[in-house]
Amino acid sequence: MSRPGSVLWLARHEARLGWRDLHYMLTAGGRWHLWKVGTVLLLAVALLHLIAYGMVMRHAGLTLDSGPAVFSTITGSFVLIFLLMLSQSLEQVTRLFYGRGDLDLLRSSPVSLRRLFSLRVAAVAVSTIAMAMVVIAPFIDVLSVLGGARWLSGFGVAVSAGLAASGLALLLSSALFDTLGPKRTRLAAQIVSAVIGSAFVIGIQVMAVLSIGSMSQQALFGSALAVDYAPTGGSVLWLPARAILGDGAALLALLAGGVLLLVLPMLLLSGRLVDYASATVGGAMDIRLRRGVAGVFRKGSPRQLLRRKEWVLLRRDSWLASQTLMQLLYLIPPALLLWRYYGDSQGSLVVLAPVLTMAAGQLGGGLAWLAVSGEDAPDLIASAPLPAGRALLAKVEAVIMVVFAVFAPFLLALLFYSPRVALTVAAGIGLAALSSTLIQIWFRSQAKRRYFRRRQTSSRIATFAEAFSSVTWAAAAATAVSPSWLAIGPAAIALIILMGAWAIRPR
Amino acid sequence: MPNSETGSLALDVRGLKKSFQRPAVDGLDLRVGQGEFYALLGPNGAGKTTTLRVVAGLLRPDAGSVSIFGIDALADPVAAKRLCAWVSDEPMIYDQLSPMEYLAFVAGLWGIEAASAEKKARELIEWLELLPQAHDRCESLSKGMRQKVALAGALVHDPSLIILDEPLTGLDARAARLVKDVLIERVRRNCTVVMTTHILEVAERMAARIGVISRGRLIAEGTLDDLRRQAGTGDTSLEDVFLVLTAEPESSP
Repeated sequence: MSRPGSVLWLARHEARLGWRDLHYMLTAGGRWHLWKVGTVLLLAVALLHLIAYGMVMRHAGLTLDSGPAVFSTITGSFVLIFLLMLSQSLEQVTRLFYGRGDLDLLRSSPVSLRRLFSLRVAAVAVSTIAMAMVVIAPFIDVLSVLGGARWLSGFGVAVSAGLAASGLALLLSSALFDTLGPKRTRLAAQIVSAVIGSAFVIGIQVMAVLSIGSMSQQALFGSALAVDYAPTGGSVLWLPARAILGDGAALLALLAGGVLLLVLPMLLLSGRLVDYASATVGGAMDIRLRRGVAGVFRKGSPRQLLRRKEWVLLRRDSWLASQTLMQLLYLIPPALLLWRYYGDSQGSLVVLAPVLTMAAGQLGGGLAWLAVSGEDAPDLIASAPLPAGRALLAKVEAVIMVVFAVFAPFLLALLFYSPRVALTVAAGIGLAALSSTLIQIWFRSQAKRRYFRRRQTSSRIATFAEAFSSVTWAAAAATAVSPSWLAIGPAAIALIILMGAWAIRPR
Repeated sequence: MPNSETGSLALDVRGLKKSFQRPAVDGLDLRVGQGEFYALLGPNGAGKTTTLRVVAGLLRPDAGSVSIFGIDALADPVAAKRLCAWVSDEPMIYDQLSPMEYLAFVAGLWGIEAASAEKKARELIEWLELLPQAHDRCESLSKGMRQKVALAGALVHDPSLIILDEPLTGLDARAARLVKDVLIERVRRNCTVVMTTHILEVAERMAARIGVISRGRLIAEGTLDDLRRQAGTGDTSLEDVFLVLTAEPESSP
């Protein structure tokens, strides 16, 4: 038994909370039995291993002598995963200071807050590593079976990357706090996190589009261009690649670096973390809006007011702002593709139709969840003198209009190129967003807006239906742009998915 | 019973039934006259909130009728809602809006013309001592301030019937006094107030009539003296009367 208040005791407490959180997410809030979750997880693990087998089976024989193209490809993939880990860590570390939860209780207790925060940063590192392992482990497993135990060093590389990412996230978050203050850090951290998570992928895709005319980053990493600019074999830049290929010394260096990058910021900053958390409480967080009432009391029907209210709330939602920014950033490579092939054959633009349609479906689903399930004052709306359908219609309109506003620049550019293509893509965007919105309405379950991250857990069926509907509308849009009557096929499947979702909606 | 027998009923509930897993309201009858302050009391789980949620149009009953100023609230809910305001113990406001923006939104929902809504909102904000926070996001307000914003939202469209479910929960003495003053002033202006509360002193001092509900039924109703007579407790406090009226019958061995 650990002594109450000791590091071990706190670690046990944190582990229990972490496990219950994971359990809640896996079982969709306790609605799924563990055996069911276990079966799905097993199937997912098998599927991931199958995908990994298909992707890396030919590379199991790679060695430290395989040449710069291999080093370049492995390093590129490592940087990509590391930046995603850094993005996730930054978001989690910043949340430590803003989440009230048990903080007031712990602050009022004689427990050492320095110790607690250090422990929670360590927990962020563990969670970051665990999340990365979900993606990486199948690849390492397949490579180890096919190419030998030396590939197991990949696990060590992932651990060192997770430790380093969490330490860097702590430094970044602290820098944001010191420069921007508690009011702005949350939004800034979310935006920085979104940019870090997507910048590398987008940058590489942009380079790929401009240099080799493709959006594939792997093609770029292995290209002659990458090899020409690659450093010599002994460079420290190749350390992760060498460690992954089984170089024990490189792995040890990476692990030591990872531990240092986590422990040093923890030791240096643990005292200030307590101050950051204190600064986010109460008056310091007051967010003053513009003075005066000019423009607040405006004429309009209740429906217009409801739409306006949704837009104001969406605009002020920092989490959504960062997510939308990320989606917009991901649209840069296809936009470049559009620009590059402007005036070229229509075939090159086919790729834009599914990308935009898919993104619209996902964006529409997220917005619809916020507007419908995330309504903060459902009783107010229900007690207002409005037919229930009209309030819902106003929310649907608000969502669809935002989706079209986001995608309008693309549609306008396409309109100059080909009105038919623009109209087809617009139809795809509208249908995908509308379908996701309808699914969110049918499966709505009242929740606080701040639980947006967990919206998938409220209904797995809605999540899958939304994803499949977006995919099938994307396929229909791509086929219709070709142009081909075969588009009727995926469109019919999308409608069947919608009808199925409607039939099994909770009543 | 003020006005309620003369035909000017603000609220007329008959044979109301609503079940979830078990009956929450079981054949409840309730009549409240125009300009009356009516307090609904009852132990936890007695069916008070369910009754008020049905009256406010937030729940549909399994059986029974609800009439608000003569309007059948089940047949024409929009017309009935136009006359009502609902305030719950958990303030239903938007974290990302300022109090002023919230009032503009609520006034718009009730179709109040912008200029008069703005004037009304300014008055309420000032009256409820929310002026310093009028343009802060509601997420930074305390529970008491949030409750005052919700109350201002309920009053901004000048309702004829205000339905309140435990509106004083979590308020400090000053805020509670302010809310009570606002409600009394509204009743003086012929507005009807129906309120549930666990603070018996509030019901005793403010309400013209008190209804006691238990197991989904109205078991006693009237002035404090009426209730004393029904409970057979003599000259005792409302607390004693309430405890006698809502006492569980002793189960046989």
